[in-house]
Order: sequence, then structure tokens, then C-alpha cells
Amino acid sequence: MGEQKRIKILIAKPGLDGHDRGAKVVAQALKEAGMEVIYSGLHKTIDQIINIAIQEDVDVIGLSIMSGAHIPITQKLFKRLGEEGVTDKFVFVGGVIPGKDIPRLKGIGVAGVFPGGTPLAETIEFLKNIVK
Amino acid sequence: MDLVKKLLQGDEKSAARLISMVEEGRPEGFKAISLIYPHTGKAHVIGVTGAPGAGKSTLIGKLAMSFVSEGKKIGIIAVDPTSSKGGGALLGDRVRMREADKTGGIFIRSMAHRGYPGGIAKAAIGATYVLEGLGKDIIMVESVGAGQTEIQISALCDTVVTVVTSDYGDDIQLMKAGLIEIGDIVAVNKADKSGAEDTVRDISMHIGDRKQNGWKVPVVTVQSISGEGVEGLKNHLDAHFSFLRENTSGIQKKKERLKTMMLTLLKEEMWNTLMDKWSNTSEFQGIVGQLEDGKVDPYAAVHKASEMMFRT
Ligand SMILES: Nc1nc2c(ncn2[C@@H]2O[C@H](COP(=O)(O)OP(=O)(O)O)[C@@H](O)[C@H]2O)c(=O)[nH]1
Ligand SMILES: [Mg+2]
Repeated sequence: MGEQKRIKILIAKPGLDGHDRGAKVVAQALKEAGMEVIYSGLHKTIDQIINIAIQEDVDVIGLSIMSGAHIPITQKLFKRLGEEGVTDKFVFVGGVIPGKDIPRLKGIGVAGVFPGGTPLAETIEFLKNIVK
Repeated sequence: MDLVKKLLQGDEKSAARLISMVEEGRPEGFKAISLIYPHTGKAHVIGVTGAPGAGKSTLIGKLAMSFVSEGKKIGIIAVDPTSSKGGGALLGDRVRMREADKTGGIFIRSMAHRGYPGGIAKAAIGATYVLEGLGKDIIMVESVGAGQTEIQISALCDTVVTVVTSDYGDDIQLMKAGLIEIGDIVAVNKADKSGAEDTVRDISMHIGDRKQNGWKVPVVTVQSISGEGVEGLKNHLDAHFSFLRENTSGIQKKKERLKTMMLTLLKEEMWNTLMDKWSNTSEFQGIVGQLEDGKVDPYAAVHKASEMMFRT
């Protein structure tokens, strides 16, 4: 009756890059797919992102990174998540991500990588599958 | 219950989890609320209502900073009015509370209405208790005022601030919507633009000398981006809270609010129970079919359906 588990997602823009068109398109598509989406706004620090993820009790954190710093940013996120004892959230990364970096990101703990140009349906399908 | 214990010790993760449980309508969530409830009743619960775009989120962010500078602990619940057909929502209020979002001691939770458009989310009630359990002194609830909302937001909140702007256009529309009436304080936002003073005058005239249980409703101007006027608004909020505690009418009002809240929740519970039980039965669908085929009128259909549901 309108009360049930909904997939809740934080779309976050870490660091300095100021391009959020891609992030907003993804956020909108996830909304239309029936998810509750929180958009962080630009220029968030890792700690701010974790803080939002905790307070909003999201299932998934999606990082949108266009700056090329996806490896150090993701490493730092997982380090801080571990320190904060936050272990119940999936992380995915989108943005400008060269294919060669995908295995490394997965090694850090990322559940999915969706470089720019990935069909939105693919991201949606992925999220519906991991959040049970 | 472990989560409740941790909540009362100030654990944000437990607070967030408990709010989710209430949102999901899980029985453990409501059991937890019963345990938390005895620890509540002291926080100042402030409702901020007004049309989309009036500046509610921006104002709440600034008010939060103002309260924080006095050492108060703040909780914010932002109920988003938008939701697409599939039930999804893009919750964007938090982005407007930039500074507050960066500040420790402020807990912000966004909420979709999950199927009850126009109302504060049912879970917002439970969330205020959870946030008070977390140790918050001030809890602000953002909600658009449309449809049935106003009744609910005044039932939940000690003080309601109605946010309007002079570029809202039609003041008459505003008064018709009853938004001004439910405000204990009216804030005319975006006073950096022209026309704010006129709006203050129009609204003051509309309110006249009418009092809200002995409280004279202040009409103030604010500029939520620069923060101009926010301190003054905060002082009115504090004054209203003292007024409620010091006057018998305030104590009486609280009792009425609790009753209204219970009746609202009961109405919803009864509706859900009945629809769960009946909506898929052939008997119920038969009545709907007769209506759709023009065989019975809507009154008769309702009469038949209620006879069916309440026959013993
Ligand atoms: N000029 C001006 N714009 C404002 C003011 N307060 C808010 N806004 C803007 O109004 C828009 C809507 O604000 P928001 O807080 O999201 O409104 P809400 O929908 O009522 O929560 C945003 O673009 C704000 O930046 C103000 O005092 N002056
Ligand atoms: Mg808002």
C-alpha cells in the first residue's frame, strides 16, 4: 500500500569537476525507473558523501567522476567507508572512465562501472539486480 | 532493541535505519517508535510550508545555521512533493541546504511521499520522534502546502511557518489555498526582489487582528540566500515556542494536534485495511463494473460498496 522497500540511491559528485549534466541525466532516468534518488550537488568531499549516504540510508552510492581522478577518489571512499563501519552499501562509478581502469576499480570494491555512453537501461537493470 | 539503544546514544546510522523501517511500514519500526516516544516531547518541531520554489529549503538551511550557532542540534525532514508514475522521486531539497549539509550536528533526511501525494509523508511523523531520540533540539519539516497537507503539517508541528513570495503572483490564490491561515508565522521570502513590502501589507491586512489561540501572527520579510531577516524569523520561532509552553491554549492545542494526528492515521489505516480485503474481490469489482457500464450512479455504487464492507 505504497509502503515497501524502494531502491534508494545517492548520485554524488565528488571533487572539483563541475560537469553534472551526465549525473543529472542518470538521476532522472533512475527516478523514472521507480527509484528514490538523492542528488548531492557539486563539489562534495568524500566525508560529505558518506554523511549523506548514512543520513539518507541509501542502498547504493553512485559516483560521477569526469576528472580522471576516479582511482584515488574511489580508494579514499572505500577507506573512509571502512573506517566509518559502513559496509551495507553498493558503490558504482560512472563518468569518464577508460576501459583499462575498470578491473582496478572492481578490485577496490566497486560493484559496477558505467562509463559515459553506457545505455541507461543497463545501469537500471544492474541496480535492480544488486539491491534485493 | 539494539537500534533504539544506539539511537538514544546518538548514533546517526541507527536513526537513519529506524526512519527507513517506518517508511517501509515495518512492524519493528513502529515497535521502536513506541520505545522512543517516552523520550520525546521537548524538541521544537517546526513546519515550513509554501508553494514549490518559494524558498523553503533555502530558508531551512539558513535557519539551521542560525540555530546551530546557539549550540542547538538540528534535524531536518524534507518531504518532496514530486514523484513520477512508477513511484520514483528525485529528492533535491538537500542541495539547497548547502551549508547545513556540511555542518556537524545537523541531520537531514529527504523523503518521498510514497503514494500519498499532497500530504506530508506518513513516515515524517515517526521520523520526528526518531530525530528527537537522536538528541535534536529543533526539528524542521519541509512540505508543500497543497490539498490535505496543511492539516497534517499543523498536526505534526508546534509552529508552522508559511513561506510566500511576492512573485507568487496571485495573493488571492494563496489565501484561498488556506496557506496563510495555517501559518503561526508568515515569511515573505525573496525580499531582495521588489514587491515584498506590498505583499507583507496585503497579507497583514488579510490576517487583520485575528489571533491564533491568542497568538498574533507576525508577517516578516526574509532573504534566504543572503540570510537577511533570518535571525528575526528565528526570534519569532523561539517566541512562539515559549508562547505555547506558557499558555494554556498552547497546551490545549497540543492535545488537539495529537488527536488530529491519530484520526488522520486511523483514516488511512482503515482505508488500507478495507481495500486490502475487498478491492480484489469479485463482489467489489462487480459494483465498479456496474458503475462503469452506467448501470448504477456513483452514490449508489458507494452505498452498495459500503454495505458490502460493513455488513456483519
Ligand atoms: N532571489 C532570491 N531567490 C531565492 C531566495 N530564496 C530562495 N531563492 C531561490 O528560489 C529557488 C527555489 O528555492 P528552494 O529553496 O528550492 O524552494 P522550495 O521549493 O520552496 O524548497 C532557488 O533557485 C533559490 O535559490 C531569496 O531570498 N531570494
Ligand atoms: Mg524544497
